[in-house]
Amino acid sequence: MNIIERIIKSDKDIFDGKSNLQKISLDRLRVNPIPNSKNEIWRQTNKSKFSRFLDFKFSNDFYYPQIPGHSNIQNTCRIIIGENKRIDLKEKKWEIKELEEDEILNFLKQKIIQSDTTQNWSNLLNHFLTDRKNIVGLNISGKDIPYLEVICNSVNNFFNSKTIIINIEEGTSVSISQINIGDKNSALSISSYLNIGVDSVVNHGIISFGKNKSHIINTLNVSQYKNSEYNLGSLQFEYDFGRLEININQVEGNAKTNIKGMQITNNNEQISTYANIAFNGPNGFLDQLNKSLANDKSHSVFEGLIIVPQIAQKTDASQLSRNLLLSNYAKIDTKPQLEIVADDVKCMHGATISQLNEDEVFYMRSRGLTLEQASKLQLRSYYQEVISFLPISKERWDLLTLLLKNK
Amino acid sequence: MESKKEIKQPLLEISDLFASTENLTILKGVNIKINSGEIHAIMGRNGCGKSTLSKIIAGHPSYEITSGRIELCGNDIEPLEPEERAQSGIFLGFQYPIEIPGVSNLEFLRVATNARRKFLKKDELDIFEFEDLVKEKLDIVKMDSAFLSRSINQGFSGGEKKRNEILQMALLEPKIAILDETDSGLDIDALRIVASGIKKIANEQSSIILITHYQRLLEEIQPDFVHVMADGKIIKTGDSTLALELEKNGYEWTDEFINKN
Repeated sequence: MNIIERIIKSDKDIFDGKSNLQKISLDRLRVNPIPNSKNEIWRQTNKSKFSRFLDFKFSNDFYYPQIPGHSNIQNTCRIIIGENKRIDLKEKKWEIKELEEDEILNFLKQKIIQSDTTQNWSNLLNHFLTDRKNIVGLNISGKDIPYLEVICNSVNNFFNSKTIIINIEEGTSVSISQINIGDKNSALSISSYLNIGVDSVVNHGIISFGKNKSHIINTLNVSQYKNSEYNLGSLQFEYDFGRLEININQVEGNAKTNIKGMQITNNNEQISTYANIAFNGPNGFLDQLNKSLANDKSHSVFEGLIIVPQIAQKTDASQLSRNLLLSNYAKIDTKPQLEIVADDVKCMHGATISQLNEDEVFYMRSRGLTLEQASKLQLRSYYQEVISFLPISKERWDLLTLLLKNK
Repeated sequence: MESKKEIKQPLLEISDLFASTENLTILKGVNIKINSGEIHAIMGRNGCGKSTLSKIIAGHPSYEITSGRIELCGNDIEPLEPEERAQSGIFLGFQYPIEIPGVSNLEFLRVATNARRKFLKKDELDIFEFEDLVKEKLDIVKMDSAFLSRSINQGFSGGEKKRNEILQMALLEPKIAILDETDSGLDIDALRIVASGIKKIANEQSSIILITHYQRLLEEIQPDFVHVMADGKIIKTGDSTLALELEKNGYEWTDEFINKN
């Protein structure tokens, strides 16, 4: 019986060892225990893959992950969620410290209570499953902060769940990478919260890479305050079932959001990105590009929604979905949408689906490159735009090599 | 080019070549024989089949040979893929070199050079060895090394793109180079640089086909043979004076020739 069936059947053991926070989440989940397949953000979901995601046995145990890339982590603050290392770093110009217990509990409690049981189902499931030792809460302030690396991992044959809350104080400038590592035959639920204070700049990377039959649902919840800048680069690959839900709220407007994301699907995989960007004040800015690359019999989904209410005058938003279909059997669904009430705005959206450019391929082949070499170079250029946007060290994470090796 | 004392070897021989694309026959019986050390010019009106001929020799997948034969050094090249033809020594200088954003020119040139070197059973070059080689070749076309770090042809001017083509020719050392309207879009200084580059690369072991509309490139590089193409075949062959005749009289006579035949 999977976790949802246990919720539906009100399994008595389900409360065992659960915190108050988890119990509140369970109550909320019971309102809507299964995502509604008619809902736009679940409509394209592959039911059997989603079911498999839920079927893994749940575990809160920590296993140290195998972390690829180079071991040199100088000038880097690395946090592995679940490891339970005390974090309290302070220098003249900056500070990274853990949030107080009450701050974490109150924050999550508010989020759970305010959650829409359909739109925020993934967050609710995460908060029901995640125990305290798999929640990390950080407060970051200052400038010249070392690169922050947060690692979330799943373990072979298990379903793991992690939550991270990062509060970025006013005037802070920081680069954060969240690396999601999926072990083979595993499932991972992650909820990430970023509160970006006034006049702050955050460069954020989410890199999710799995192995054979990895499953992941990652929700990203960002609140941006006045004059803040949030730059997000995301990359998802090698997941049998992958889902990234991006919820960004420009709370007061007057903020800047830049997003470049990419998902690569092979074999029979399904990877989806859902982006919901809300402008709740004037003069907001968004530039979003989502790239998909679908091979074999895989399925790639992108759905974006830009919400511009009456208050959000002078919003300037662009959402573009560019997709590359590498096989006649692969499928790409893309739907960038606008919901505009304000009348003085500049908003655009668009989507393209294409195949590898034949003229480019012939040009390279006419110079002696094999079809494989030409395609690799072309893919490298396709990847480069997003990879160069990720705030990660090239020396440590050679993602291009990793991606091309997997092709 | 140095004096032509060596014994000429047949490099490229095209016999009664018919080819089509999308059920439209474009080449209607092309015959041409090119020996080592020779420079040939193919001239003709737009749409006469010059560029198609160059693409078919290079193996463009959009074109189909319906009959006839193309031999490189006595071997039929029809079964070869475009890259195999390039590795064997066929080089096509594009009329409109393709821009490939994001792909480094240096990396592309290195992979291409090593593919040719591998075919020639020469050692492949590592990045440092290749940089030394490419810097030496840059001088031939008076290009700055900054071009190497840019994406292939992206943001290059028309002249820079053509110089980049000649740089590739210099690196690949082809047996036969087909330069499709390399002179188009060049100002007089750029034309001289490109022409001078071609002359420096030309040697007795290889040959060059210049596809052009105009005499001005041929003033810089004197061809041994000039062929006039019309309606998918070569209708006249002569020496370099034929190009001067064309410059003077134009191509109207080719229509009459085609109508009569």
